[in-house]
Amino acid sequence: MKRLLLALAIALPMYAGDGAAILAKVDAARNPLNSFSVDVALTSTSGSETESSRFRVYGKGSDRSVVEFVAPATEKGKFLLMLRDAMWIYMPATSRPIRISPLQRLMGQASNGDVARTNFAVDYNATAVATEDDQWVLDLAAKDPSIAYARIRLWVDKKSSEPTRADFYVVSGKLIKRAHYAQHAQRVEIEDLLRTGNRTVMQFTNLAAHDNPEKMFTKDSLGKW
Amino acid sequence: MIIKLALRNILRNGRRSAITLTVIVFGAVGLILFGGYKARTFYGLRESTIHGRIGHMQVFKEGYARSQSAKPLDRGLDDVTSIRKEIERDRRVKMTAAQITLMGLVSNGDKSETFIATAVEPAKDHAMNSQRITSGTDLTDSESDAVMVGKGLAESMHVKPGDYLTIMTTTTSGSLNAMDVRVAGIFMTGVKEFDERAVKMPIAGAQLLLQTKKVEKLLVFLNNTDDTAAVHSAIATRMRGIEIKEWSQLAPFYHQVVALYNGIFGFLGIVVFAIVVFSVANTILMSVFERTREIGTLMAMGTTRGRLRAMFVAEGVGIGVIGGILGLAIGALLAMLINRGHVMLPPPPGYTVGYRLEIMMQPPVLITAFLVSFITATISSILPALKASRMKIVDALGHI
Amino acid sequence: MTSNHVIALTGVNKTYPLGRLKVRALTDINLSIGRGDFIALAGPSGSGKTTLLNLIGCIDKPDDGRIIVDDVDVTRIPLHRLASLRRDTLGFIFQTFNLIPVLTAYENIEYPLLLQNLPRRERDARVRRWLREVDIEAQAKQRPDQLSGGQRQRVAIARAMVTEPKLVLADEPTANLDSDTAAHILDLLAEINSRTNTTFVFSTHDPSLIARAERVVRIKDGRIAGQQTADSRQQEVA
Repeated sequence: MKRLLLALAIALPMYAGDGAAILAKVDAARNPLNSFSVDVALTSTSGSETESSRFRVYGKGSDRSVVEFVAPATEKGKFLLMLRDAMWIYMPATSRPIRISPLQRLMGQASNGDVARTNFAVDYNATAVATEDDQWVLDLAAKDPSIAYARIRLWVDKKSSEPTRADFYVVSGKLIKRAHYAQHAQRVEIEDLLRTGNRTVMQFTNLAAHDNPEKMFTKDSLGKW
Repeated sequence: MIIKLALRNILRNGRRSAITLTVIVFGAVGLILFGGYKARTFYGLRESTIHGRIGHMQVFKEGYARSQSAKPLDRGLDDVTSIRKEIERDRRVKMTAAQITLMGLVSNGDKSETFIATAVEPAKDHAMNSQRITSGTDLTDSESDAVMVGKGLAESMHVKPGDYLTIMTTTTSGSLNAMDVRVAGIFMTGVKEFDERAVKMPIAGAQLLLQTKKVEKLLVFLNNTDDTAAVHSAIATRMRGIEIKEWSQLAPFYHQVVALYNGIFGFLGIVVFAIVVFSVANTILMSVFERTREIGTLMAMGTTRGRLRAMFVAEGVGIGVIGGILGLAIGALLAMLINRGHVMLPPPPGYTVGYRLEIMMQPPVLITAFLVSFITATISSILPALKASRMKIVDALGHI
Repeated sequence: MTSNHVIALTGVNKTYPLGRLKVRALTDINLSIGRGDFIALAGPSGSGKTTLLNLIGCIDKPDDGRIIVDDVDVTRIPLHRLASLRRDTLGFIFQTFNLIPVLTAYENIEYPLLLQNLPRRERDARVRRWLREVDIEAQAKQRPDQLSGGQRQRVAIARAMVTEPKLVLADEPTANLDSDTAAHILDLLAEINSRTNTTFVFSTHDPSLIARAERVVRIKDGRIAGQQTADSRQQEVA
């Protein structure tokens, strides 16, 4: 009886409201800065083949970023603009940027980009909070039907409030991707569960505050500044 | 009198007239056979395109064509049930079929490919008979997560009926969705590039995947293709909020084939025309030369130049009429024989199966063949007739 | 102004090109021919008699001079505009008969009447009359290639006469006939001339035809060498 009461006492306050608090801490742990720049080293493995690339990401707030392709040489000079519900790519050979349709975002690194920049606190509600060893396990539901992943199950380290693992589910309930976070969320490994043997590792370095003007995040200025 | 003279002069040199007639008959027969083959090809392609793929017309929500939304079914048809009930009230309508086209990724666990799916109502799709099922079974209304896969796609995904695939796309609101589907059957359309990407799925499954109750369009099938325009305007006046496209606006390949064949046969027609003109003109010119003294005599007796021209043109007309009628009869006979003969032709470009050679005989083709023979022969006789009328009487009389 | 003359030629010249040369076919021809005359134009071949006949027949044009046919000055009128004059006023008989091969005797004779647009009954009456006159009723339905030379020429005569012309021109009408047949043809022509008062002009070098002519006009080297009437010739012989 006492145990039950104790469990309830601990569990009840953990519901919803606390879920939001945890999420806020998770996002803060991943990226505390509002206007920032960060270097990304990406390694993509497909079966036995491996490809590496490097980017520089400029972000503002939770929903705007510009990705500059740095390496390999074939990709250098390209830019990607990621807004809340649109994505644009600019290639040096063309005169204007091309919009990437939601369908095209299913493929390649654009989909991983979606995963990496998921803003838990802004886009999701915590519908349940549970405990597993020394981690919170949160069930997240997308606030808006336009959000890429309808549901996420998130594992958070209780002490550091850093995420350790996230399972991404689509509307039908199917599990599509799994992310493993390490090194204080500086390393993210994403598994493609539809294609065995496909994984991507993103390493974030040199995260620093950077003054990014608002007009940088428009498609017309993409690649021009 | 001119007719009597013309006919008797045609018969005068039987062999030469026979050769000329043969040339005209060849021309007429050629036009009938090629024209009939062309007509049959157009008809066959039209009907197979309509019945197998696009329907006689397609009904969309108003504004569909102009919409530039990146979200699928942003301009989709809602309230399909009442729309189709209204359309099916017209007795000329045979059936309606709802469809959605969508694209996405399909994965077998090891790799993924892009696919283009046509989501259909299984019973209606079955009636359309648009693909050849090479293994497995058709879709059924009861299983919303079974799909049919094009032969090329099945091969690249290494699947056979009974295996499972995962299809992934974005929903109408923009989020991702994925569904495990069972491969019910494998099909071939005959177009290789299409079969490498094609999926057919039940519309209920597509609506679940896209998270919507809408459909993209309603295909309307009629009992008779000739009713298309009439039914179009009937529907357009009765119903609001929709836009309609007729099959002709949705079949660019058909129009390309029509243009190509018309171009080829037009060119052949000109060649045939030129040959007939020269042949007939030559024959009548020879006749004019041989009758030089006769022409001189006629003019001496008071025959006017105009009347003389009319005499020779009448011969041209006579040969044209006889040749036209003969050509018509022989052409029709040959067409019937060919149709009975069940000759098989090789597959056209992009297709994998051959088809039967058939000559379609329609009044316009037959009338054209006759008219062309007739007009050609008449035109051919004009220059020789002019030459005859310009002869100098004294020289003509002195001619051997 | 009517005159007794059916034909009047004054100062007529005619040349025609022969390769690069110009040949003088007729020089300074003055000739008048009256109604009912039975005239022979006589001369060796190349003398120009055929050319003269052609000019009278309005199937050729003179270079200078004047030609009046049936009170019509035809000198400057283009030949193709003279078609109706030829049709109504003239008749032609040729050395080579020149019948239309695909028509029967009846139809050959009928042809000029069709050009005149005569009604059927009238045409039939006239054709039958002339079939009788030239005595080939039995051959009415036959085509020229089934007829003898004499029979063909009879058809030609009937054809020339069926329009009741004022003038009949005949170029060597007996040249392709044997002497017996020729004689019969001449009798026929003379008989028609006296009965119908139709003017006949022949070009010929057949002596028996020349002998039968009322008037002979001698042509030599393109000029009129002399004219003789029948009486004066008879006197010569005597």
